Amino acid sequence: MSELTTGKFSMAISDLENVQITINNIVGAIEKEADEIDVEMGPTVKPGVSSLRDWDHNILDRYNPVYTPMCDQCCYCTFGPCDLSGNKEGACGINLEGHNAREFMLRVITGAAAHSGHGRHLLHHLIGLYGKDHPLDVGATNIIAPNVQLVTGVSPKTLGDLDSVLSYVEEQITQLLAAVHVGQEGAAIDFESKALHGGMIDHVGMEISDIAQISCLDFPKSDEEAPLADIGMGCLDSSKPTLIVIGHNVAAVTDIIDYMEDKGLNDKIELGGLCCTALDMTRYKTGDRTLPRAKVVGTLAKELKTIRSGIPDVIIVDEQCIRADVLKEASKLMIPVITTNDKVMYGLKDRSNDSIEDILEDLTTGKEKGALMFDYEKLGELAPRLTMMMSEIRKQKGIKRLPTDEELKELADSCVHCLKCEVACPNSLPISEAMTALSEGDLSNFELLHDKCIACGRCEYACPKDIDIVNVIEKSSQRVISEEVGKVRVGRGPISDPEIREEGVNLVLGTTPGIVALVGCSNYPDGTKDLFTIADEMLRRSYIVVVSGCSAMDLGMYKGEDGMTLYEKYPSRFKSGGLLNTGSCVSNAHITGAVIKVASIFAQKNISGNYEEIADYTLNRVGAVGVAWGAYSQKAASIGTGCSRLGIPVILGPHGSKYRRALIAKPYEEEKWKVYDARNGSEMQIPAAPDYLLTTAETVEEMMPMLAKSCIRPSDNNMGRMIKLTHYIELSQKYLGIMPEDWHKFVRTETDLPLAKREKLLKILEKEHGWEIDWKRKKILSGPAMKSDVSAQPTNLKRLCKEA
Amino acid sequence: MVDVIKNTQIHCTYGCKSSKAVQPDVAGKMISKAKRPLFIVGSQILKDEELLKRSIEIAKKADLPVAATGHSMSGLVDQGINAKYINVHALATYLCDPNWTGLDGNGQYDTIVVLGHFKYYIDQVLSGLKSFSKIKSIAIEREYIQNATMSFGNITPAVHIEALDELIENL
Ligand code: SF4
Ligand code: SF4
Ligand code: SF4
Repeated sequence: MSELTTGKFSMAISDLENVQITINNIVGAIEKEADEIDVEMGPTVKPGVSSLRDWDHNILDRYNPVYTPMCDQCCYCTFGPCDLSGNKEGACGINLEGHNAREFMLRVITGAAAHSGHGRHLLHHLIGLYGKDHPLDVGATNIIAPNVQLVTGVSPKTLGDLDSVLSYVEEQITQLLAAVHVGQEGAAIDFESKALHGGMIDHVGMEISDIAQISCLDFPKSDEEAPLADIGMGCLDSSKPTLIVIGHNVAAVTDIIDYMEDKGLNDKIELGGLCCTALDMTRYKTGDRTLPRAKVVGTLAKELKTIRSGIPDVIIVDEQCIRADVLKEASKLMIPVITTNDKVMYGLKDRSNDSIEDILEDLTTGKEKGALMFDYEKLGELAPRLTMMMSEIRKQKGIKRLPTDEELKELADSCVHCLKCEVACPNSLPISEAMTALSEGDLSNFELLHDKCIACGRCEYACPKDIDIVNVIEKSSQRVISEEVGKVRVGRGPISDPEIREEGVNLVLGTTPGIVALVGCSNYPDGTKDLFTIADEMLRRSYIVVVSGCSAMDLGMYKGEDGMTLYEKYPSRFKSGGLLNTGSCVSNAHITGAVIKVASIFAQKNISGNYEEIADYTLNRVGAVGVAWGAYSQKAASIGTGCSRLGIPVILGPHGSKYRRALIAKPYEEEKWKVYDARNGSEMQIPAAPDYLLTTAETVEEMMPMLAKSCIRPSDNNMGRMIKLTHYIELSQKYLGIMPEDWHKFVRTETDLPLAKREKLLKILEKEHGWEIDWKRKKILSGPAMKSDVSAQPTNLKRLCKEA
Repeated sequence: MVDVIKNTQIHCTYGCKSSKAVQPDVAGKMISKAKRPLFIVGSQILKDEELLKRSIEIAKKADLPVAATGHSMSGLVDQGINAKYINVHALATYLCDPNWTGLDGNGQYDTIVVLGHFKYYIDQVLSGLKSFSKIKSIAIEREYIQNATMSFGNITPAVHIEALDELIENL
């Protein structure tokens, strides 16, 4: 997609309906051209599917795609199903490797489409309300949209500017989806390149969504002191009428909040949210740091439990991470459900053109189980009124929620310990054992299980005794659930330019040991506390911890020994030891955005249409690592893959292996760990870190040293390397009980060694690795595989090198 | 003698090829016969002392080199076994590379034995090996691991310990 030109205008005039819009676009385009006349453009403005292929092949040469198929069959077309086991070819000629690369790419573009589809809906809605000329304002920054600018060369100034960029995103997703069609691509590596393209595009789509809503809905704008919101299943006051919103798109909810405020209902109705809508509800109208209007109940893992608790009187759903059985489950407890987005309609009647009174009548009498409502103004009034009415009705009817204590015991007694539930459980949770304990009156097994259970319900349909296992877990855990109350910092939006200006140098030299970004969903291997453990450890070590989405929520559920959540304890500033919540799922773009800004502001690189150079800069010089510990959705795959292309390594929790492919390097392939020195084009050896661009870890303990190692970069100065190495060694000792096997490979000179341990480590280097040490001066004479040269300019790109 | 092969129930299939259920004595003999075996021990052994004990015993008795994945290393240090930490996903990658020379530099492995892993995770890791390597994998977990070459079935923790004892006898 390119900007419209005069030539195209004369063609478009025959389509009279579009005249107004076309003229606006053209005027805008001319103005912008004048604005940007001096803006330097990189070589890939609005890259097509193959434009960045060389870069992809460059990184894939070191970071090899590793396939762990979910299935060794393919059933994509009517030639199949085909048996691809043992990497055989199917009837169309594709092998298991190629098919898995295709499957992975499909996950990535599904995620990208979810975000950009969300963006399109939101943008359409906001342009309808505020107009195309509404200015973009995301706080103290000149680079309003770093991802957009990096990929498309456009520096958007208004809502309307985002419109055309989004069209580019949509075009790319369509092109990528076309490649999934049977036949065609046979090379796994080019499916990989396409997946990376989809990941990059996703960050553009996310950025558009978030800056549009930040600019229009009075969200905090790069605010270090955004307020705190309540979070947890325990924070809902169930004595009040309760309205719960589930999903990701705040467009439908703002009218509800406005109506409640107008009518003075804020104290009368509990308004809570699940998943990212919840986070965005807390951002709405908190740009002035007033308290959020809504509470955050939790993540997708709490959806079924929240419904089964019977607490909601009305449920609104919008889009994305919403259970497909919300209507079915809610109806059992007489909770009407309102759907508001064409992605989720549950077969409900469209009531957008009906009167509120008629809808209220049908829903309160139970004539209809729910309604589809596209008119958000109407929804604004309907939802709170319905909530007040349903609360009364449901109270009178005495809606039965969870089992009573007696029923609980009976349920436990009826278990025949066949283990069918455990086979069905995605986490193989020890349900049978817990049933035995419960029969004996001991709730503790189920209390422990509650936090690890994602409330998926698979155990229930496996059980031959029809035990409602989720209800058993929830009822047994009432005590712990009531204590589930915490605080989450309202999403602050992007990182500001002044913050980057101050911190950029520390990141590139390594004196701030790294950025750890905790993102993604809640499919954890061992419960929600893992996130707290990671953030707590890394913050103590002065890493910058950036969070978003469901990770941001779960992190706030725990308090340290001092009784404070980490949000209350650490500043929300982009600096060493800062903890920043950027916001919801689409706010992930601000994390990559911050990295792009480091290249732009600190290193003075042109970012417009200059993707390859900036990705190369990140890979070689910015110590950042992403963690999607509970990744489950396709969106986490696309977010992570966008990071991969930009040179940011990402670790997933063990469930992430089900995305089918990782990008893992081989430290033992020495020839792969060489880059150029841009000063003269000579080759330089670099340490094998990061040794993956996307991988998984088994446990949080394992991940800790991995995080430290992943932040090591060739550009570290001695102080920086010393700090990073100290953390790597200490974390390995603390969590694995050993010195890391490869620590010495990161040592270039004695000044890279942790000060307190220098002498001891020099001895090990001499004794175990045969290095020559001058003991008088405590200097390394020989041994290291690479030189320490802080002014070297490591790059993977020959074209960026000056002639020798 | 415990029977560990009667319950090979699965929730969903991973496709065309599934593992063969194996009894502990047979598994023990196969491990002893392997030319280049590797014992891959996951972090779940730390959740049960009995399991940890058995893992160490297996490594000792069959003189198996141990790849300690996750943070299982913290339970395996100073136990008189030859254990090295490695990430299991990275390990699976190297195991598919004919040029990898192993944890000890002596060459690629021919048989791996897995114990102490999350079921879904090891199944995933093994699905790669199943299709992209020639390595034989023996799962001695308490769950039926579909993507291994051979596996115990679904058993209770108590039966699992008994089965491991029997396996140890046959090493
Ligand atoms: S797409 Fe190819 S491998 Fe898949 S079912 Fe069709 S012919 Fe078989
Ligand atoms: S499936 Fe039902 S009966 Fe069988 S162990 Fe689980 S809860 Fe008990
Ligand atoms: S609802 Fe909980 S216990 Fe049941 S299968 Fe899902 S995760 Fe396991």
